[in-house]
Amino acid sequence: MKVLVPIKRVIDYNVKVRVKADGSGVDLANVKMSMNPFDEIAVEEAIRLKEAGKAEEVVVVSIGVPKAQETLRTALAMGADRAILIVAGEDVHQDIEPLAVAKILARVIEEEGPGLVIMGKQAIDNDMNATGQMLAGLMGWPQATFASKLEVEDGKATVTREVDGGLQTIRVKLPAVVTTDLRLNEPRYASLPNIMKAKRKPLDQKSVADLGIDIAPRLEVLETREPEARKAGVKVADVHELVEKLKEAGVI
Amino acid sequence: MTEALVPNLIETGRAAVADAANWLDAATAGLRAALAPEGKVDPARLAREQTAAHALAWAATVVESLRQMQGWAERLDEAGELGETERLLYQIALGEYLAQLGGGIPMSQGEMARPADLGTTADGLDTPAIATLARQGNTPAARRRLVALMQAQEGAPTFGRTGLDEELEMIRDQFRRFTEEKVAPHAHDWHLADALIPMELVHEMAEMGVFGLTIPEEHGGFGLSKAAMCVVSEELSRGWIGVGSLGTRSEIAAELILGGGTEAQKEKWLPRIASGEILPTAVFTEPNTGSDLGSLATRAMREGDTWRITGNKTWITHAARASLMTVLARTDPESRNWRGLSMFLAEKTPGTDADPFPDPGITGGEIPVLGYRGMKEYELAFDGFPVPAENLLGEVEGQGFKQLMRTFESARIQTAGRAIGVAQSALDVALRYAQERKQFGQPLIAFPRVFSKLAMMAVEIMVARQLTYFSAREKDQGRRCDLEAGMAKLLGARVAWAAADNAVQIHGGNGFATEYPVSRILCDARILNIFEGAAEIQAQVIARRLLESPSP
Repeated sequence: MKVLVPIKRVIDYNVKVRVKADGSGVDLANVKMSMNPFDEIAVEEAIRLKEAGKAEEVVVVSIGVPKAQETLRTALAMGADRAILIVAGEDVHQDIEPLAVAKILARVIEEEGPGLVIMGKQAIDNDMNATGQMLAGLMGWPQATFASKLEVEDGKATVTREVDGGLQTIRVKLPAVVTTDLRLNEPRYASLPNIMKAKRKPLDQKSVADLGIDIAPRLEVLETREPEARKAGVKVADVHELVEKLKEAGVI
Repeated sequence: MTEALVPNLIETGRAAVADAANWLDAATAGLRAALAPEGKVDPARLAREQTAAHALAWAATVVESLRQMQGWAERLDEAGELGETERLLYQIALGEYLAQLGGGIPMSQGEMARPADLGTTADGLDTPAIATLARQGNTPAARRRLVALMQAQEGAPTFGRTGLDEELEMIRDQFRRFTEEKVAPHAHDWHLADALIPMELVHEMAEMGVFGLTIPEEHGGFGLSKAAMCVVSEELSRGWIGVGSLGTRSEIAAELILGGGTEAQKEKWLPRIASGEILPTAVFTEPNTGSDLGSLATRAMREGDTWRITGNKTWITHAARASLMTVLARTDPESRNWRGLSMFLAEKTPGTDADPFPDPGITGGEIPVLGYRGMKEYELAFDGFPVPAENLLGEVEGQGFKQLMRTFESARIQTAGRAIGVAQSALDVALRYAQERKQFGQPLIAFPRVFSKLAMMAVEIMVARQLTYFSAREKDQGRRCDLEAGMAKLLGARVAWAAADNAVQIHGGNGFATEYPVSRILCDARILNIFEGAAEIQAQVIARRLLESPSP
């Protein structure tokens, strides 16, 4: 079985995000980018399936700017076998939407014929949480979202999902789309020997035009704003004053 | 862009660096005439004029730093990647270092190298370009702006792009994460407990490829560049210098064997060093012989097919747990200098806490130390310790010192990398503390004397990086780089100490409490100016090279 793992290049989770002065979007100039952490978990899970003998090949695919090559190389260094880059747009936060990504991925699936797609439940930049679901819909495949445990056996995947207040376990027939939650695994580090090996692994590059898919945006971003700065607190002298203040604020 | 930036920065910088280089060339020529008549350094004159010679070494290190910062800025500019942060780092570095050339370069806190020490004046350093940068380069406004940008980028792996390629930055990312998860949370406890680095971590580092980094693939290593070694050393040392130094011994042993070993020795040892199965230790220094290795006294005497080593060694890092010692010993009893020394690959049984040196013929005692813990330091006594004849490096006698000399370049580049990591960790904790701690109603970072310290740490770290990456590139190109590697080590050690000292200062009283990690960083930083060629020896070696060879 082949496992396809779509990955996205996003602003590094350590970096403070800054909004462009005109409020039109997020400032990406000279900002450190890296792999979406949920996608890293997806890559790790796919590699574990291969190591367990449940999968033969792990193919990673990224849709975005040419520099997403670097992100794909990281996935190859973690242990993926092959990478595909589909160049689409300059700013993946704005130029390309989940539906367009899902359509492109559906086309990749037609070409690659994977038995399983594992992908992050959402990207930490736009937090859409939509692409996996849309992809399953377009393909007519079952979906198992927010996976915290995945077992593959006899053409089926048993997935434990993190839902409000507990866990839910479902079984889906393969091929299917599984989206990963935070607790599915702890991704490995790419070791130096694997970074060296990754250099020799194939990385194909295509453009959206090659695929002939319409990715015209359907959504319009009206405004991007930084969260409001926290207001300064007030010091109270004693419990009595604290209770008064809380009452004033309508909290008690 | 802000008003803090000097206009026409790149062009002004280029002219200023050229002017500084011209001034240095003239000063070098003057000293060469005085100390190396007929092209050969006169040892008596050099000894008498050590201050002048070392001032020259420092001035040349500063000029090389300027040249590397200029090259870095130009390369980024061409690639469209010279952002405001990089511009400020570059401008402040040029401003500060150009001003120091004429005004005094701190060789240590108490010793300044001034033009008069070089037997010259600051004439030639008063060109328009140098004057502009010296006046406008390193201003409080520039430092304030730089620190504001650093605050906005807190959490980024480096402040300012390093100019390294994508693969090296991927390596940095991986090792940074590794260090943040596996090393940094425990380093301070391990330091306070004076504990050895847990073997579990050593094994994980082996899996990451730390010990076979630069060993060629045909010998079981990963064939990576010295630049990659720098990046790995930096990031591991950023967590803890001990962890960043574990690979140093493997690097030295591998370089010794690669450079001087027979094919059989390469085949036997290198793959096991690369995999981390063998942890080597370097056994060179003696109680009476530190920098002056040529006079060492430990003897090796041949009895049939066995060499017997007898003598005392000291400052042997990680000796108890190591399983291979690279031992420098005198095989020619008649000799009094380096010519009678040979290098041995002496196997030993790794010890335990209860029995650190279980083999017959070797005993050892621990030397308690301020910092640089995790591997422990030992003095060793050899009494007829046996080494099979086939373990004489290269199976040739009298080559030990030369074989060792060939490893100095790599060891110094690696040590420069460690220094950068320690400096960066000082900056990391100081930047955090300066934002969290409030005095007089403001976070410390709002005060010019605080943000200026932070700015200068970031600037000098970038300078040390560029000088170190330069020497690594030279080494990777197969060029002689003892001069460059020595400069990188010399500067890196000073930068690390300054960063650690200033980080403690920003912490105030808390920095003096052993509870705070910055207290450990201070202790760790102190060793960098001492080991792998003390600052004074480094300056001596650099000066000698400069005086010998007319610059190309």
